[in-house]
Amino acid sequence: MPKLIPRASTLSTAPAVAWFVVFMVAPLTVLFVVSVGVRGPDGGYAGGFTFDNYLELGNRLAPIWNTLKFSLLGTAVTLLVAYPLAYYIAVKAGRRKLVLLALVIVPFWTSMLIRTYAWTFLLGSNGLPAVLREWGVVDDLRLLNTPFAIVLGIVYNYLPLMLLPIYVALERLDPSLRAASKDLGAGRLATFRQVTLPLSAPGVVGGCLLVLIPVMGEYLIPVLLGGGRSYFLGNALADLFLQSRNWPLGAALAGAFILLMTAILLVGTAVARRLSGAATTGSPA
Amino acid sequence: MPPMNNISRRDLLRLLGYGSLASAGVAGFAACSPPESEGTDSGSGGGGGDGELGSELTLATWPNYDDPELLEKFREETGVRVNVQVYGSTEEMETLLRAGNSGIDIAVPSQYAIPGWISSKLIQPLDYDKIDVDLSGWNKAVVDQEFDPGNEYTIPKHWGTTGMIYSEELGEEPTTWREFFELAGSLDRRATIVDHQISSIGSAAVALGLDFNVQDPQGLSEVADYLIGMKSKLFAISSDVQPGLRNGDSWLSIAWTGDGVQVVRDNPTFKYVIASDGGEIWSDNWSVAADAPHPEAAWAFLKFIHEPENAAANINFTLYAHGDPEVNELVDKEVVDNPVVYPDDDTIAPLSFATAETYNSPDRAKTWSRIKSS
Repeated sequence: MPKLIPRASTLSTAPAVAWFVVFMVAPLTVLFVVSVGVRGPDGGYAGGFTFDNYLELGNRLAPIWNTLKFSLLGTAVTLLVAYPLAYYIAVKAGRRKLVLLALVIVPFWTSMLIRTYAWTFLLGSNGLPAVLREWGVVDDLRLLNTPFAIVLGIVYNYLPLMLLPIYVALERLDPSLRAASKDLGAGRLATFRQVTLPLSAPGVVGGCLLVLIPVMGEYLIPVLLGGGRSYFLGNALADLFLQSRNWPLGAALAGAFILLMTAILLVGTAVARRLSGAATTGSPA
Repeated sequence: MPPMNNISRRDLLRLLGYGSLASAGVAGFAACSPPESEGTDSGSGGGGGDGELGSELTLATWPNYDDPELLEKFREETGVRVNVQVYGSTEEMETLLRAGNSGIDIAVPSQYAIPGWISSKLIQPLDYDKIDVDLSGWNKAVVDQEFDPGNEYTIPKHWGTTGMIYSEELGEEPTTWREFFELAGSLDRRATIVDHQISSIGSAAVALGLDFNVQDPQGLSEVADYLIGMKSKLFAISSDVQPGLRNGDSWLSIAWTGDGVQVVRDNPTFKYVIASDGGEIWSDNWSVAADAPHPEAAWAFLKFIHEPENAAANINFTLYAHGDPEVNELVDKEVVDNPVVYPDDDTIAPLSFATAETYNSPDRAKTWSRIKSS
């Protein structure tokens, strides 16, 4: 027999439990129930019990593959841009640190929709390509509605989410460790590889997860900067609910998507835990 | 490193906190969630507020579909304030109506949704005694159609076409969908097709000699192969066709009347052409929700909006064609004489309305997602 939980603690956990039930368990239950139903003749949802919608997902792998490809590539490029910048701000910027951080964060205050829409004009024929044409650099450069534009949109929109965790990891790094490494004869590259990089790894993993997960749910960037020619999961979901009005299939796709995200998150946190465990002299986190 | 250069955690949190607050605020304001309220004026004061009518009315409509001055005039005459909710598609209106308790009194669905709305009892029969409209003299192309025989449930608000728009830069003047799609596939990313299965699959079907409302699997797979084959040659699959055309990125596009009128008006080097081999004619139609909270106000509004003078004012504002010849006599001459807005009978003769089956067809939906995800 389990011990009876004291009343006070029941009361104190009640809000958290209620939150969990109302905002997690209930919606997921609804999602599952809808996903095993069938599409009504006029669209929407009609009751039923079938796993056909999950089987149908096998025919809908293109958006999943597209999403994985672009979100992994986008995250990698964001990391390559963010790491040197974070390193500079944390280690080299001195008293300009606050200004530089503000410059990274302030654009974030504008709606993502507006910021992304602005890029359609910068990348369109009358934008950057026109300037480059004027300078005689290229003749007919086409940037808008290309994979390049999508990756650019990802890097631009998600840079702060990658930069801040890395910045925090680097900022907490004691400068004397680098000095010690130097004293012991390590060059700059060796110091970076053997001291700085491993110690900032938890920040890198955290940043990658913070970017990868929302990018996988991205809807706006493929629509505005990809011209609707590259199809992400988010676009597939929007179409299933708003154009096809096939709620059961949409629910099944959303469910599969949640499972995929959970798997990525579990792997990511396991990696982060191992890395941070290694970083803090092996104590289990 | 001197401590003065370090940013305290509190500073960082403050910076982030303001940021997320601000972005949440802006996002909430600008994220263009569909039910964008554009109430004309607050307060139900003004004219003779009839107790029976109540003080407000909710109208689910499309962007730039209703002249705000006219809504204000209605408020002055009746004391009823019109809450305007703007939607980007009939599908979005339908989602709310199906959920129930939407608060919507009057909705303006495209014709293809109407049979489903009637059979699902989302809208109620119109009370013609109260609306006081006689449709007998109206344009036969838009009244008494298969989607609502006898117009028991709906009255066309206005109608339009799905045509092609292209710039001088194209150097060619396509007049059929076949020519349009041949050009689209031969250019390097210059053509746009709209992100709507009805219009894009339908127009491509016409180009292949199939019916605009094609639904059989073989015809659909032909259309899918055709569009997938040229997808890498397209500039975009997007219903926001104007920026691409205006910036010179896109030289030709499928377009609805509204986009055609606006682009040609601002840039006369563009042409809007209705294909001679077929294509789409559409109408958006007044309807009253079955669970309308203010039915009396809805009847009063429909009576008001069909008085020829008011209807004509709305056409001058929206630049779409009306179905009542009496109204068209009062519409500005330059609008009535604009062939984009008012194409002649011969031009629209080969066009078809999208049917409810086309709208609801799971096979067409699947074909469209196959094309988009290829």
